[in-house]
Parts: sequence; C-alpha cells; structure tokens
Amino acid sequence: MATETRVRAASERPAPALSPAARQARRRRTIRPWLLLTPALLAVAGLLMWPLARVVWMSLQDYGLRQIVSGETNYNGLANYREILGQSYLWTTVLPNTVLFAFACVSLTVILGTLVALLLQRLGNTSRMICASVIMMAWAMPAVTGTYVWIWLFDPLNGAVVHTLGGLGIVDPNDTNWFTDRLSFYAIATLNVVHHSFPFVAVTVFAGLLTIPRELHEAGIVDGANAWQRFWTITVPSIKPVFMVVIILSTIWDFKVFVQLYLMPGGSGVNRDVLNLGVWSYVESFAQRQYGMGSAIAVLLTLLLLGITVVYIRTLFRESEEL
Amino acid sequence: MRPTLAHRSGTALAVTALLAFTILPVYWMVTSALDPQAGARGGSFLPSGFTLDHFRFVFDEGGFGRFLANSALVGLGTILLAGLLSLLAAVAVARFTFRFRTAVLVMVLIVQMVPLEALVIPLFVQMRHLEMLNSLLGLTVVYLAFSLPFAIWMLRGFVAAVPKEVEEAAYLDGCSWPRMFRSVLLPLVAPGLVATSIFSFIVAWNEFIFAFTFLQDESKYTAAVGLHRFFGQHTNDWGPVMAGSTLITLPVLVFFVLVQRRLSSGLAAGAVKG
Repeated sequence: MATETRVRAASERPAPALSPAARQARRRRTIRPWLLLTPALLAVAGLLMWPLARVVWMSLQDYGLRQIVSGETNYNGLANYREILGQSYLWTTVLPNTVLFAFACVSLTVILGTLVALLLQRLGNTSRMICASVIMMAWAMPAVTGTYVWIWLFDPLNGAVVHTLGGLGIVDPNDTNWFTDRLSFYAIATLNVVHHSFPFVAVTVFAGLLTIPRELHEAGIVDGANAWQRFWTITVPSIKPVFMVVIILSTIWDFKVFVQLYLMPGGSGVNRDVLNLGVWSYVESFAQRQYGMGSAIAVLLTLLLLGITVVYIRTLFRESEEL
Repeated sequence: MRPTLAHRSGTALAVTALLAFTILPVYWMVTSALDPQAGARGGSFLPSGFTLDHFRFVFDEGGFGRFLANSALVGLGTILLAGLLSLLAAVAVARFTFRFRTAVLVMVLIVQMVPLEALVIPLFVQMRHLEMLNSLLGLTVVYLAFSLPFAIWMLRGFVAAVPKEVEEAAYLDGCSWPRMFRSVLLPLVAPGLVATSIFSFIVAWNEFIFAFTFLQDESKYTAAVGLHRFFGQHTNDWGPVMAGSTLITLPVLVFFVLVQRRLSSGLAAGAVKG
C-alpha cells in the first residue's frame, strides 16, 4: 500500500518539474503492466465475460432449437425465472441438493485436508515425501475416471463394497442399489469429491504451516497450551489467509460439481431427485433443448456463487490489508 | 521433546489409514484393468490373474489411441497459450504497482467462480455459428480461458519470489527490459512455469463437459469423452472400462507426482505473497 501511495503522490507532482525523458519513462512505467495484461484480459473478456453476458441475455428468451438454428430472438421477459422460482422442485430438491452437498463436501475437505497437513508436518522427510506423492495421486485422478472407479466400487451387482458388507451380513446384496436413493447417491458423490479435493487443501495448508516460525509453538508449549489450544491460538491465526483461500476455492468448486454427479447412474437427468443446479441447467439445455430455461438456471447458480465469492473476498480483504 | 510410543503408533495408524483411503480407487482401477475376470471379481481385493487383453481391446475396438492423441494435442496447445499469457500477466501483477492492480487480482479470483455450466450454453451457440463446434482448436481456445485465472494466481507467487534486487542489478548493468525478462526473470521462474504448464495440461486433459458437448465425430473425441462413450456401450464390462480409465489416469499421475512440491509451494505463495 505504501508504495502505491508514493507512486500516486509522484504522479500528482506538477508536470514541468519533469524532463521530457523522465516523463516518457514514467509513461512507459504506467503502460507496461497493461501491455503485459492485455492478452490475458482479452482472453478472459472474450471467453468468460462475454459468454456470461450472453447467458443472461438468453435467459430472458424462449430460446429453443428453432432459435438456435435461425438465430432469431424471442424475448419473454422474466418468464423463465418465474417458472423456475415458482416450482417446488427448485426449493425441495435442487437447492437442498446443491447447498447441502456443497456444505458437506467443503467441511469434510477442509477438515480432512487440514488434518493431513498437520500429519505431514509431524512426519520425517522420507515418509512425508511418500505420503505427499500418494495424496497427489488422488488429486491428479481425472474426475471422469475417478467417478467410474467409485461407481465400480459401489456397483450393485459385483461391487467391492456391496460384496464386503454383504459378506459381513450388514446389507443384502440382492436388495441394494445405492444409486437410486437420493441420500446414498449423494453420499457416494461426497466420498468421490472429498477424495479428489482434500489433497489441494492438504498441500496448501502444509505449505502455509512451514511459514509459521517454530518459536511461536515453543512459546505456546512453555505457556502450557495443549495441542488443541496451540492449533486455535497460533496455527489458525498465523495462516488465516491460506485457510480463507482454500475455503473460498473449495466452496466455489463444490457448488458447481458436475461430472461427478452427471456420470453416476441416473445422474444425467433420468433420476430427477438427484439433480443439482449445474446438472439441471445442463439437462434442461442439452437434453430438453430449452436453452433459455437452462440459461436462467445457470444465471441463478452464477448469482449464488457470486454472492458467496463477494462475501469471502470482503472477509479476505479485511483480514489482510493488501492482497 | 521425544515422541512417546503411543504418539508414534498413533501417527503410524493415521498414515496407514490415509494411504489406504487415498490409494484405494487407483489400486482398484489398475487391478481391475489387469484382472481377466474383472467384472466378476466381487469383493476380492487380490486380482484373480494377469492379462493385458482389456488394454488390447480398448485400443483395437475402442479407438483409445486416437482419443489419447487428441487429448495430448489439446493439452499441449493449452500449455503454450496459457503459459505465455499467464506469465505476462503474472509479471504485471507481481512486479508493478499500478492503478486497478487490486481490481485485476480480485477479477482473477472472481472469474474462477464462473460455473462452466453457465458458459457451455453461450459458447455452444457461439461455436455453432462459427462452425467450430467439432474442432479441437475451438476446444483449446476455451481451455485457455479456464486455465488462465488459476495459472496467473499461481505464477504470481513464483514471480514475487524472485528477489527484486536481481532485476535491479541487471538494470544497473545496462540490461534492457525485454532482455532482463528473457535472460534474468525467465530462467528463475522456469520451475514455476513448468508447474503451471502441467497444471494447465491437466485441466485440458481432464475436462469433460465442453469436450462432451462440442465434439461430434468419434475421430475428434478426447480421452474423457471417448471413455464416456465407451462406457455407454460396455456398461458393466468393467475390465475394458478400467483399462481405459487407467490409460487416461497414468500420464496425469506421473506428471503430478513429478511437480507436486513446486505446485504446492506455488499455491501457498500465491495465497500469502503480494
């Protein structure tokens, strides 16, 4: 912040005090960062911002197959939104699916990731490297293949989980299909998502832990604080920005989980009990060819995420004066 | 403080549980791919035998060679574009103080929130008009945009970690700015650039929704789409499906393990450094 104020103060100095060469150098300094940013900003504007504006525009139309072929517009105002918000389906099925699932995934991911980070910190170099490499595998596994493996593990006919639990007499294999029931469907999806995303939290928090000076913990021990107290009074405040970032990113990612749900049996629209906002939007657009309707659902999801992001970013800024 | 025995066995137990949970899906995938009786293996944790037939099948009948090549092509294109653009942007935000710098950083954070489901509809319509729906180039351009924000966020940590004094010394020696960029900054952030590139590659390699929505001809399928179509035809034929999954997963695993340390330090640096 301090340097920025200084730069601004300098630019307010009366112009004649500067030689032409100095003024040219200053102009170059001002333009240079924007030159460097231009290609990235153009890509973001053209491929993220402009489509986002278009999806809002499409959400106000009755945009079906006819419109996509002819390119004509067919405005119907807020009719799509009225239809979505007027359905009990949104309030009793899709929204709870989206929010509760994201909440479960974020909490479990952050808790598990933090525990693993603390574990990594306690390990010797060799075992730490082995553990870190192995948890990277979970992160690197593509969502598509990871999802198929979890489906295979929970397969109702020959899956390992049904067989193992059946052998122990806990479930009846002839009578078990976890994919049809909403709760067990989401339990499997949660397992899949947490497995895939905790490594990101673990490695990020671990790298953050390394920045905390040892003396702080030693002082805590001298003061008689136990491990739990030391975690909450020393570790958490010291790396709060790191926690903030992993929570923001996990929340955003888990609200828009798509592949892990869409590829599961019944997840692509066959079983309407298990859709979340993202999958519903996709199914409405590309299976029903109701692009306007799908766009309206997508806009709702985007607004939800925007709200969350703004709240988090404001907190983040209050925590650390500068980003 | 010497760890007590209880302490140590607790740690060992935690490590074992962690490794078991983490490896399970990978183990299950690979062993099913190699097991001649994969579809009927039930709860048996040890494979019943060893065969490469499933792999042969997915190459001969499933067209996986083509799918993997398409994915590699799209991934490499994404690396080249995203690497260049994100490096320039990262230097701008890490090295310069300028008006709206914070706004740019906030934008980088915010655009990561945009759901792909919201972009897939307008981009589908747009690409349809441009007649680029069935094109790997169109897909590459889209992936560039997705990997950019995270790549900028990560790289700015690497750039900020290069001491400013190094650059200043180069200036004092009469180095021009572009030359300093090329011969001082670039070599120092090269490891970060490698890590970021691999990250962008993985984004492209793993992406499903856009590839699934855009690509129509089987000859254009990326690996993830190919596997999905293949699964549709061979549901419950778990041996070949897991062989295909293994083929898609292994290259990513190798890459990731190679760069994991740099990736994690880069993430943390991006989070705490200006």
